[in-house]
Amino acid sequence: MSKLDKTNEHEEHTPSSSFSREIEKEPGGADIQHCIQCGMCTASCMVASVTEKYRPRKLIQKILLGMREEVLTSELPWLCMTCRQCEERCQEDVSLAEIFHAVRNIAAREGYIPVGVQKVVDTVMEDGWMLKDGYSDFIEDDRDDLGLHTDLGWNNEFVKKIKKRFIDGGNKK
Amino acid sequence: MKEFVLYTGCTTPVRLPAYEASVKIVLAKFGITLVDMKDANCCGAQYVESVSHTAFAAMTGRLLAIAEKMDMDILAICGACSGSMKTMKHELDNNKKLLKEVNEVLAEEGLKYTGKVEVKHLLQIFQEDIGYAAIREAIVRPYRGIRLSAHYGCHVTRPEEIVQVDDAENPKIIDKIIEIAGGTAVDYVGKTRCCGGPMLGIDAELAGKIGRDKIENIRNENVEGIITACAFCDLQLTQVQIGDDASDQDKIPVMTLPQFLGPALGVNFSSLGIELNRINPQAILQG
Repeated sequence: MSKLDKTNEHEEHTPSSSFSREIEKEPGGADIQHCIQCGMCTASCMVASVTEKYRPRKLIQKILLGMREEVLTSELPWLCMTCRQCEERCQEDVSLAEIFHAVRNIAAREGYIPVGVQKVVDTVMEDGWMLKDGYSDFIEDDRDDLGLHTDLGWNNEFVKKIKKRFIDGGNKK
Repeated sequence: MKEFVLYTGCTTPVRLPAYEASVKIVLAKFGITLVDMKDANCCGAQYVESVSHTAFAAMTGRLLAIAEKMDMDILAICGACSGSMKTMKHELDNNKKLLKEVNEVLAEEGLKYTGKVEVKHLLQIFQEDIGYAAIREAIVRPYRGIRLSAHYGCHVTRPEEIVQVDDAENPKIIDKIIEIAGGTAVDYVGKTRCCGGPMLGIDAELAGKIGRDKIENIRNENVEGIITACAFCDLQLTQVQIGDDASDQDKIPVMTLPQFLGPALGVNFSSLGIELNRINPQAILQG
């Protein structure tokens, strides 16, 4: 059971909105206070249907309650596939994909990034794209046979500049 | 004759080159020319997007700016890429501060995004630029009623008001094209649910469970194949049937929409890269 699920049900919570106000100011986080906790998101969620540890409504509730540390250090905000099935059905137009992006951006700035995500980010910000190492001679031959160009010509200069400016800088917080 | 700049994204050229080839050949049949985007970068979807919104804006903004310099609209064939470019275009078109920040970086290489470029997903090209009537007219070797299910891809159709591709809760474009080509489009439980692909980098086991759930829902309808419109989804729905945790039931062939449509238009199998499909689609092609 994850840390987030261990809330003592007898404890009285006084919703603190300081964390949700912080989320509100992040790109994508503006609508967090519109959530009425109806649970349509969890009911629509494929991730919730295959694992008990992830309940998007509960996670939003933690944010509304101001449980900043618990949320930012948890893997749960990273389990949202951003498939947007829930937001298509949310009567208050809350986008959980966008809110969890905002949460992840804050978590990342404070150094909490799942290993798998960090690896892909490092690769993309070095090579300019995701699959340089996967582009084998065999695939090059397949492309040639299909009449496709084999020099994929990705630009890696731009991402290096972006990393320096927006990602490395952000981590220094 | 219409022209678009093709942004393939990272995945298609390496993992699904047959999709790229089929898109080009099939659209050419309808008089649509594609120019490859050169010197591109990853759009930043999902991963960079999760760690820095500004970095993501700059990466996707650069793609929009390259297309603007080429004076062409963008065609995206992967859900992740079309999703990023459409949602970021929407944001840049409505957020002057972010646009200014992105353009300041782009200016260093002589690029600028002003909002002129449109981003289209492949499904829109079929529906809006070619149209069902022209597709119907071009069918020379119709399928004979083969039962097929469509999988659309979450980021292809959602958020509906921004991406403006089909009805997000009841998508129909792939189904219509299946029918026009002579197939029988078959609905199934959870049609608009995710394939699990975006979970792969976080928790591969959960990703597999989600993908296999979709496969079982499709299997319950006794269909001969699955037709996709996103490279990521196509690979994921194939992989969950092949990997270690796959069920030992018959595998259901997965094909991208242009690869399915091509033969009905008289395009030969080899130029569509049919032999590269990891689950043999002969059952579809003979149907």
